[in-house]
Amino acid sequence: MSFLQPLLLWGLLAAAIPIIIHLLNRRRHKTVMWAAMQFLLKATRESRGKKRLRHILILTCRALGIAALATAAARPLLSNVLGWGSGKPDLVVLLLDRSASMEATPKNGTVPRRELALERVKSALADLEGTRLVLIDSASSQPQDVPSPDVLTSISSTAATDTAADLSTLASRAAEFLSETPGRAEVWIASDMQAASWQPQNDRWTSVRAALSSLPEKPKVRVLSLGGEASPNQAIRLLSSRRAGAQLVLDIDITRNDDAATPVNLPLTATLNGVRSTSNVTLAGQNFRFRKTLPIPANEDSGYGWLSIPGDGNLRDNVAFFAYGPARQVKSLLIAPPGEAADYLAIAAAPGGHHGQTVERLDPAQLARLDTEGVAAIFWAAPLPTGQVAESMVRFLTEGGQVLFFAPQADSDASFAAMKWSPVTQSEEGKYFILDSWDHDDGLLRDGLDGSPVPADRLKAVKRRLPDGEGTTLARWDDGRPFLSRRVFDRGTAWFISSMPDYTWSNLADADVLLPVSQRLVIEGAQRFDTGYLATIGSRSSQPRAGEGRLRLDDYGAPVPSNEAYEAGIHRFGERTMALNRPAAEDDLELLEQDTTKSLFEGLDATFFEDHSTTTRANGSQPLWQAFLVAMLFLLLAEAILCLPKKNSASASPLPGRPTNA
Amino acid sequence: MKYEFLDSGLLARLGSIPLETRVPMLGNVAGKHRSPHRGSSVEFAEYRKYVPGDDTRRLDWKAFARSDRFYIKEFEADTNLRAYFVLDASGSMKFHGQGESKIAYANRIAASLSYLLVNQGDAAGLSVCTDKLHLEVPPSRRPAHLQYIFDTIGKLEPSGDTGLVPALHTIAEKIGQRAFVVILSDLFTDPQAFSDALQHLRYRKHDICVFHLMDPQELGFEFDRPHRFVDMEDGTSLVVEPTLIADEYHRALRDFLTTVKAKCHDAAADYQLVPTNTPLEPLLRDFLTARLPKKGHT
Repeated sequence: MSFLQPLLLWGLLAAAIPIIIHLLNRRRHKTVMWAAMQFLLKATRESRGKKRLRHILILTCRALGIAALATAAARPLLSNVLGWGSGKPDLVVLLLDRSASMEATPKNGTVPRRELALERVKSALADLEGTRLVLIDSASSQPQDVPSPDVLTSISSTAATDTAADLSTLASRAAEFLSETPGRAEVWIASDMQAASWQPQNDRWTSVRAALSSLPEKPKVRVLSLGGEASPNQAIRLLSSRRAGAQLVLDIDITRNDDAATPVNLPLTATLNGVRSTSNVTLAGQNFRFRKTLPIPANEDSGYGWLSIPGDGNLRDNVAFFAYGPARQVKSLLIAPPGEAADYLAIAAAPGGHHGQTVERLDPAQLARLDTEGVAAIFWAAPLPTGQVAESMVRFLTEGGQVLFFAPQADSDASFAAMKWSPVTQSEEGKYFILDSWDHDDGLLRDGLDGSPVPADRLKAVKRRLPDGEGTTLARWDDGRPFLSRRVFDRGTAWFISSMPDYTWSNLADADVLLPVSQRLVIEGAQRFDTGYLATIGSRSSQPRAGEGRLRLDDYGAPVPSNEAYEAGIHRFGERTMALNRPAAEDDLELLEQDTTKSLFEGLDATFFEDHSTTTRANGSQPLWQAFLVAMLFLLLAEAILCLPKKNSASASPLPGRPTNA
Repeated sequence: MKYEFLDSGLLARLGSIPLETRVPMLGNVAGKHRSPHRGSSVEFAEYRKYVPGDDTRRLDWKAFARSDRFYIKEFEADTNLRAYFVLDASGSMKFHGQGESKIAYANRIAASLSYLLVNQGDAAGLSVCTDKLHLEVPPSRRPAHLQYIFDTIGKLEPSGDTGLVPALHTIAEKIGQRAFVVILSDLFTDPQAFSDALQHLRYRKHDICVFHLMDPQELGFEFDRPHRFVDMEDGTSLVVEPTLIADEYHRALRDFLTTVKAKCHDAAADYQLVPTNTPLEPLLRDFLTARLPKKGHT
C-alpha cells in the first residue's frame, strides 16, 4: 500500500484521542464515601467479562474509526509493487529481465511474465506522478529514460529477446547510475528468479551492495518476483551441428519442465533451406538428448535451417537454428615415434576414412614441420612440446583446437601448460592399475547421448606415467591417481592420459576406450570450423565484425527489426551466415531461493513481492480511500450499537426506592 | 422537644395504636400482652381436670353440676413486654445520599417506638453495636428511663465495622425471658451469620422485627461518570465506571435483599426494607397496625 499524501498519516496519532479521553476521565473521578461496598466489589468482579470486552470494543471502534479517517485522508493506493512500502520516490530505476525465460507464461495464463511485470510496474508508476523512470534492460544493460510509464509496454527496449540476463551486472549499472543522480531513488527489479540470471555466487553482488549502501540516500530495493508455477513447456536446444560429408549431424537436447514421468510425443519439424520435414520424438524423461541427421541437398553446399517444436508455455524456446558451409576434411595430426602405439592411434583418429577423416603422422624429430592450419585435433604421444613448438600449440589450443597428450615412452623434464609427466611407475607383480572412476557427464569419457557409458572400467595397465600439475582430473585409477586430466585454454582443451595404446603398457589399444576418446576429440576439434556458423546470442561471435552489416535471413516467428540484435535466428553478417541461438542457461529450470535473494541485498532496505497472477488486469493500482471511509462508517456504526443502553430484563423486579421507567 | 429525632405530633398521632407482640410474653408485672401462663384476666383460656392441691376457689361449679366432675376454669394471663432495640452503629450507617443518614433514620424509629412502648407500660431497652463497642441500656418501664435511652441515641457516632451478629448472639444469651427484639441495621454483614443469629434469637422464643435500612442512592446506584468509592467501614477505595457495572450491582443487591428477606422469614422475623426517604409516620403506623391481633383471633 502506498499513500499519495503520506504526511497526513500523522493523523493516525489522533486514534489515541479516545483512549486519552478515557484515561483522563478515569483520572477525573469524584470521590464518594460508600457503604454498600460489597455489591460494588461483586459487580466489579462480574463485569470483568463481557462488559469490559464491550467497553474495549467501543474504545477500539472509536480509535479505529479515527485511524480509518486519517488513512483515507492520506489517499492510500493498493498496488502490488508500491504496496510494499510508502512514500513517493524522485526516481525509479527499473531493472528488467528480458531474457528468453521471461517469455514463459504462468500456469493457466497466456501472458508472458515479462509483460505481466511491465503491466505491474506501469500501473504502480501511474500513481507516482512526477517520478522519473529509468529503464536498464538485461539485453542492452544501458540506462534509458522512459518518458511515461504508458509507453513501457510498447518500446523496443522492453520487448522480448532470446538473450540471457545477468542481474548482478544490471544492479551494478544501477548503482553507477544512481551515484551520478541525486535524489530519493528506488531500484525495482522485475525477474523470473531464474538462478542462472541472478548468479548469486557472483562476487559482483558484494560490490553492488557496497555501492548501493554508500550512496548519499540509500535506495530502496523492490524485487518483483514473477516466479510462480510455469505452464507446461518443452525447450529445444542445439548441442552441436557439424557437417559429415553429405549429411548434417545435429545433436539436440529437449528439456521438459512438467511431470517427467509421462512420455510425450512431440512433432519435431526440421526446416532446411526452406524445405520442411516433420518427425515424431517421444520424450520419456525430463531431459532428452538425441542425434538427428539431415541429408544435404546435392546442389546446396551451404545453407541454414531450424528445428522447431509446437508452441507451448514459452514461445521463445521452441526453435534451434543452424547453418552449414561447404564440406571440409576433418584432419588430425599424430605426433608419435613409429611403433605399435602410433599405429593404433592412427586407426582411432581416422578409422577407415570415416566421415572424411584423415590423419597425418609426424615423427617427433620432425616437429619443425608442424603446421596446425586446418587441423581439428592433435594426438601427441611424445615428450611434451617446448619452445616454439609449445607456443604454436598454445596458439592452436587458444583458437579452439584439441590436443590429447599420451604418456611418452621416454623420460623428459619438459612441461607444457603447467603440466609435466612423472617417471614411469609399474604395477606390482600379477596386479594391474585399473581405471576405477570417471566423470560420466563431462570430458572425453562422458556417457553417450543415449546415456550409455564408455566401458572404461575394462582398462588395465601395468605401466603408467602420471600427469602432474594444475589440470582438472576427470578419471582416476583405483589408487586415486589421475588417469585423465584436462587443461582448458580460451576455446580449446589440452588432455592428458597417463597411459599408452601399447600392450606393454596397458590394453588402451583396445577400441573400448581409445576409439570413443579419439573420435570425441576429433569431433570437438572439428567443431571450431563448424561453430563458425553457430553462436549464442549475446556472445562476441554473435556480433557483426567491423564493416559488416546485419541481415535476418529466416522468417521464423515474428522478427522485430529494431530488436533483431537480441533475437535468435539466421543472421547474415557481410558474407558470413550465422545461426544465433539463445544461451543454454535460459533453459535452466533452477530458481533462486528466497533466502538467497534476501542475502544478496543484505544491509539494504529490500522488499520482495511474489506475483502469482496470470493476467495483466489483476492487482492494478487502485485507490483505497473509499474503502477506508466505508470502514470508518462501519466502525462508528458498530460503536453506536455497542453504546446503546441494554434493555432491562423483564424478570428483574424493580428495587424499592429506585425510580422505574413506568 | 429537646431531641430532634422525636416528633411530638407523630407520637401523639400514633399513641392510640398499641404495639402488640406476635408471641406470648413472660413478664413480671401485669400488662397488656399475652403470657404463656394462666392467670387472672377476663380472657377464658381452657378447662382442665382438678388435681389435688388446686385452689378450690377456681373450681367451676356449674360444670360440676352438669357433669359431676371437677374442672378447673383457667384464664389467660396478661403481662408486660420487654423490648430491645438493637441499633447497628457501624460506619456504613453514617451513609446518606440526598437525605438523612441511615443512623439518623434508625434513631427516629428506635426513639419513637421506645416512647410508645414505655407510654403503654412496657419496658424498652437499647443495644448499640459496632465491631468494637456493644453498649447496652437495660429495659425499663420507668418514663424517666426514656431520657437515658434518648441521651444514648443522641450521642451515637457510627464508626468501624459492623458488630451486629455478635451483638445479637449476646442478646440471645443474655435475655432470660421472652422479649421483643427490634433490629435496626443496613445488614451489611454475612447473610448466613446474620441468619444464624436470628435463629439463635428465635430459639430463645423472642419476637424479632428487622428494619432493613437502605439509602435510596444505594438502591438506585445512579452515577453517570467514574467515581472513586471509599468504604466507610475500612477505608478501602475502588475507582469504577458506574455505567459499566450498574447492572451487576443491581443484580448483586437484589440477590442480597432476597436472601436477607428469606433468612428473616425462616426465623419468623418481621422484615421491612426501609429506604431512608420513606416518611416515618406511615411506616410506623403500618408497622403497628400490622401487629394488631386479627379480629376473631385470640
